[in-house]
Amino acid sequence: MELLIKNGAVYDPFNGIAGDKTDISIKDGKIVDKVSSSASVIDAGGRLVMSGGVDAHSHIAGAKVNVGRIMRPEDTRSGIKPRTKITRPYTGYTVPNVYAMGYRYAQMGYTTVFEAAQAIMKARHTHEELEEIPIIDKGALTLFGSNWPTMDYVREKNMDKLAAYVAWGLLASRGFGIKCVNPGGGEMWGFGKNVTGLDDVVPNFDVTPAQIIVSLMKANEMLGLPHSVHLHCNNLGKPGNYKTTLASMELAKQVKPSKDRQVLHVTHITFNCWGGTNWGDFESKADEIANYLNNSENVTTDMGQLIFGSATTMTADGPVQYANAKLLHAKWANGDVELEDASGVVPIFYARQVSIHAIMWAMGLELALLTKDPYKVLLTTDHPNGGPFVNYPEVIALLMSNKKRQEEIKTLHEAVHKRTKIPGIERELDFNDIAIMTRAGSAKVLGLLDTKGHLGVGADADISIYDIKPDQIDPSVEHAKIKSAFQSAAYTIKGGEVVVKDGQITATPMGRTFWVDATVPEEQTEIMMKDIRMKFKNYYSISLANYMVQDAYVTHPKVVKAGVIPVEVS
Amino acid sequence: MATVITDALCPFCGCVCDDLTIVTENNKIIEAKHACKLGAAKIMGHHRIKAPMMRKDKHSDFKEVSYDEAINEAAAILARSKRPLLYGWASALCEVHKKGILLAEELGAIIDNTATVCHGPSTLAVHEKGLPSSTLGQIKNRADVVVFWGSNPVQAHPRHMGRYSVFAKGFFSEKGRKGRKIIVVDVRKTETANIADEYIQVAQGSDYLVLSALRAILSGHADVVPAAVGGVSKEQLSKLVDTMKTARFGAVFFGMGLTQSKSRYKNIDNAISLITELNSFTKYVIMPMRGHYNVTGFGQVCSWETGFATAVDFARGAPYYNPGETAANDLLMRKETDAAMIIAGDAGAHFPADSVRHLAKIPVVQVDPYWNPTTEVANVVIPVAICGVEVEGTAYRMDGVSLRFRKMIEPTHPTDIEILEKITERVKEIRGE
Amino acid sequence: MQTVTIKPKKEIRISVEAENISPDKFAGKTEKDILSMEAWMGNHKTTLGELFSVMVEGSGPAADTKIVMDGDFSRIKRIGEGMTAGLIMIKGNVDMHLGAKMSGGKISVTGNVDSWAGREMKGGELIIEGNAAYYLGAGYRGETCGMRGGKITVLGSALDFLGEHMCGGEIIVKGNAGILPGLSNNGGKIVIEGNTSRPGSEMAKGTIIVNGTVDEMMPVFKAEGTEAVDGITYRKYTGDVIVNGKGVLYVK
Repeated sequence: MELLIKNGAVYDPFNGIAGDKTDISIKDGKIVDKVSSSASVIDAGGRLVMSGGVDAHSHIAGAKVNVGRIMRPEDTRSGIKPRTKITRPYTGYTVPNVYAMGYRYAQMGYTTVFEAAQAIMKARHTHEELEEIPIIDKGALTLFGSNWPTMDYVREKNMDKLAAYVAWGLLASRGFGIKCVNPGGGEMWGFGKNVTGLDDVVPNFDVTPAQIIVSLMKANEMLGLPHSVHLHCNNLGKPGNYKTTLASMELAKQVKPSKDRQVLHVTHITFNCWGGTNWGDFESKADEIANYLNNSENVTTDMGQLIFGSATTMTADGPVQYANAKLLHAKWANGDVELEDASGVVPIFYARQVSIHAIMWAMGLELALLTKDPYKVLLTTDHPNGGPFVNYPEVIALLMSNKKRQEEIKTLHEAVHKRTKIPGIERELDFNDIAIMTRAGSAKVLGLLDTKGHLGVGADADISIYDIKPDQIDPSVEHAKIKSAFQSAAYTIKGGEVVVKDGQITATPMGRTFWVDATVPEEQTEIMMKDIRMKFKNYYSISLANYMVQDAYVTHPKVVKAGVIPVEVS
Repeated sequence: MATVITDALCPFCGCVCDDLTIVTENNKIIEAKHACKLGAAKIMGHHRIKAPMMRKDKHSDFKEVSYDEAINEAAAILARSKRPLLYGWASALCEVHKKGILLAEELGAIIDNTATVCHGPSTLAVHEKGLPSSTLGQIKNRADVVVFWGSNPVQAHPRHMGRYSVFAKGFFSEKGRKGRKIIVVDVRKTETANIADEYIQVAQGSDYLVLSALRAILSGHADVVPAAVGGVSKEQLSKLVDTMKTARFGAVFFGMGLTQSKSRYKNIDNAISLITELNSFTKYVIMPMRGHYNVTGFGQVCSWETGFATAVDFARGAPYYNPGETAANDLLMRKETDAAMIIAGDAGAHFPADSVRHLAKIPVVQVDPYWNPTTEVANVVIPVAICGVEVEGTAYRMDGVSLRFRKMIEPTHPTDIEILEKITERVKEIRGE
Repeated sequence: MQTVTIKPKKEIRISVEAENISPDKFAGKTEKDILSMEAWMGNHKTTLGELFSVMVEGSGPAADTKIVMDGDFSRIKRIGEGMTAGLIMIKGNVDMHLGAKMSGGKISVTGNVDSWAGREMKGGELIIEGNAAYYLGAGYRGETCGMRGGKITVLGSALDFLGEHMCGGEIIVKGNAGILPGLSNNGGKIVIEGNTSRPGSEMAKGTIIVNGTVDEMMPVFKAEGTEAVDGITYRKYTGDVIVNGKGVLYVK
């Protein structure tokens, strides 16, 4: 199978191409130097061409997503489309069914998406859903931040065992990297309590969140994992939490990266850059976070942009979800997982005239616009916490057009003027910046730049073509056109196959699931496994023999190898 | 030669115990160690249907036919139906559910599972209030107060108490039973009540009132609560609130005594609110005591595939959901269903008489390993291998933890998946797709 | 003025979804247009013409469109769904979701209506001379708001959960109501002339008046003495205290 895309206005920042007319050759699902004359041809006609979108943080599969569906039939009934000869039915807006997940991402030109949190014990469920999501490549990050073995090894300062546990946990969950949510708080929520800062001591385990974060970062780099530790900070959802976020970022200085990437990814800043001391003096401190990012090299972030309207908050941060449910008088699902972590799901409606929501809307944008290097801020909505992923085109348009932002600001609660910097920010991002925030940057943060996020030879032939002629449009003025073009790709090509044409699904191949196989010396694993066997014998409610995700649940695996390598850790 | 399978899973109730040792010899199971009586009986097998059977009308005797004949007839019945129902699923694995949903889409059918006659109301309550819950190990390791409300594990979930909730010892609960206060709330003194520390008798149909009274007391409004509510004295209610809110970690397990009594799902709705409010004082979780081993699994699969947990109507090509309108009995009672496939669930035994009477009038396809009352109303009977014994695959425990069943012995019949795939193919042929 | 008269052509056993029967959809349409409008009988896509005889007199906008339905419509769902204006007069019984999400106009029924009549209604009027089944003027599963505005009058009785999650509007039931009327309501007014049980549970706002007997009172209301409403003296209760409710329940 050969394909040639001609006359595209290509934005491929990783390879230094910014709008040049460049032909792209595709053979057997990969981008190649050239193709034969018998290749089929797509004439892009000067339209915008980028690599397929990559989302490094979204909640697309697993126990809490499904709890969201079960508790929200009122959401499921929106966005319904009947089946066609090619597609299964679509349902839902904030919590779509598995089919709508895959189709809608593909329709926006996205081809790779990572689920941001799975507990090992419930990873089988995550993979059952990933297996049903069509078209896109995917993977899932595994929770380690409140796991009893993690905390035991952090307390014992036994990095060998911790690394062995992480490697084994990734295998057991077929996970891609380390997710750490409100470290230590997941355990404390087991008794309805929470940690209040990086240096609180988790009872019975005698460790602090800071120790957990640093140790996991060290283990991550010992194992040379493709991605860094992916952190959801402590104190999320509390005014004043930007200080905890900055202090968490500062911890990254204690660890050197084993690869050309960050050592810490701090996720969904919209929820972690809160100033003030209560809801009355609540304000944005996104500028402080941006300032930190502008002066450091080892931390990356994503926006977690807020979208007005309906959203469903879902996170392993159990205590914040109970607080949300009480504050909003909303229905509440909780899903603690023995020995591992917590979780909660709460619906929310973000309203333009609610001061807190208007300020939060500004936070993600401020972060992206005040941070100089777009590689440090990925475009996300923390789907579906800030809002559903189908709104990425809205976010792109906001980032590219100050005019659009000013129009929006007029409709918002006046607090957006006093408690945020957004009204005075004039910067407008260009297609190159957007390509970084949605492609090259996400792939770099995930450690997947060998095959994802760019259009160089050897990359996966995941390509999107949008109905925009970059040399004939002023995004600042024609922001509505920008939004609609990104909503509905002219073409999405996945692994060399056209899966979307003119915004319609044309084929539904199964994508692959990325997971990391990190090798650790066998004796190291064996020593660690003695502890694990004891935990199953005494504390888990299932047998060790039934714990690990079986091969049957990952039928299209893409295994990324990693393992213990000598690395200097301070 | 005997073969031993350790850490085997039990395909009986929602506990999905995964610590069985199965001994087989010559493709027969000769022992199911650690299983309770109910589980062992299921695993050891009984009353299998030998071969596919058909009959012209419900009064004639069955005639053995080939699988192809039975599948063709099943497909023909379903393909010509305007309001087909695909019901059951709780005793089948998730892999079967996926095929069932695909067939329902193809047919424009209603697909519903056995939850409709047990914990379906719990799902309706979850729509209203969510579900503060946890995995069972969380309860095993932490719970010091456990309430069984309208549920009776001694009889229905025999190993629940030993493995998870009453006698189980864990990290923060090293004393096991001695460190736990067990409370039973029920309309009658059950066997579980006999082993409890406290039994509270609620007047028939009054659970909703009692739950509201507890919530009123908990929220500091004892003054509005009358001297007795639902047959329980205010003093006893106040004492219960005190016990509950001073727990370190509390758990409430509810059963059909709550879901199927007056106010039905609103009882669960109210109980969930009580649990939510208790979390302002200490940690509490609530969990339905699910019956069939994979009734939870159907809800999970159906939710991720269609967005809705059960009772999904595909008549117009897009999923529509509204129990009270789209659940199996809603349609059977109105005599709307004009053909049904009953698979891995026994409508004949568990449905209201009016529904069964209607089933007896319309063409019914049964897909099941076993003879059961549904067989009596079937026109086409297709025997299959036993999921979880002869077929490997996924099931979800009552707490939503998924587990993979291994195959214990080789099947002697085709699997549900094979049958559903063939019926689906045949339906497409009939419809000229 | 446009008048559309609809009569059933045959007995219908499998429910038909006929949301096209609405003044908004019929306004300005000819008989031929209406006969070819879509309806669904189970999984069978059909037309209104297959099921009904249709007669059109005159032509006009929705506000001037009257639909007269004569016969048994007890298996016809979603009549008048989302209607904004005009009139539907039904001589007979109807199935579920009558006038769901309607925001204007008026529907009258001489017979009984099945469940979810006036579901998520925003405005307009629904008059039911017979009985209503479950969830009259309630919401969809999982939603926080049911009826938001308009008026529903039932001359007969209603079954359980009437006015659930009601946020506005008015429901009057001349006969009895089933259990838990006004459950979790957050506004609006419910008047029950007959008997009921467990009214007003979890009510945050709104008013419920019961002129008959309350079989079981929820233990969540504060007694506030007596108060006269329209010349009738009631025992007054406020609550639901659990949700710090400001709802008012009057019981005769």
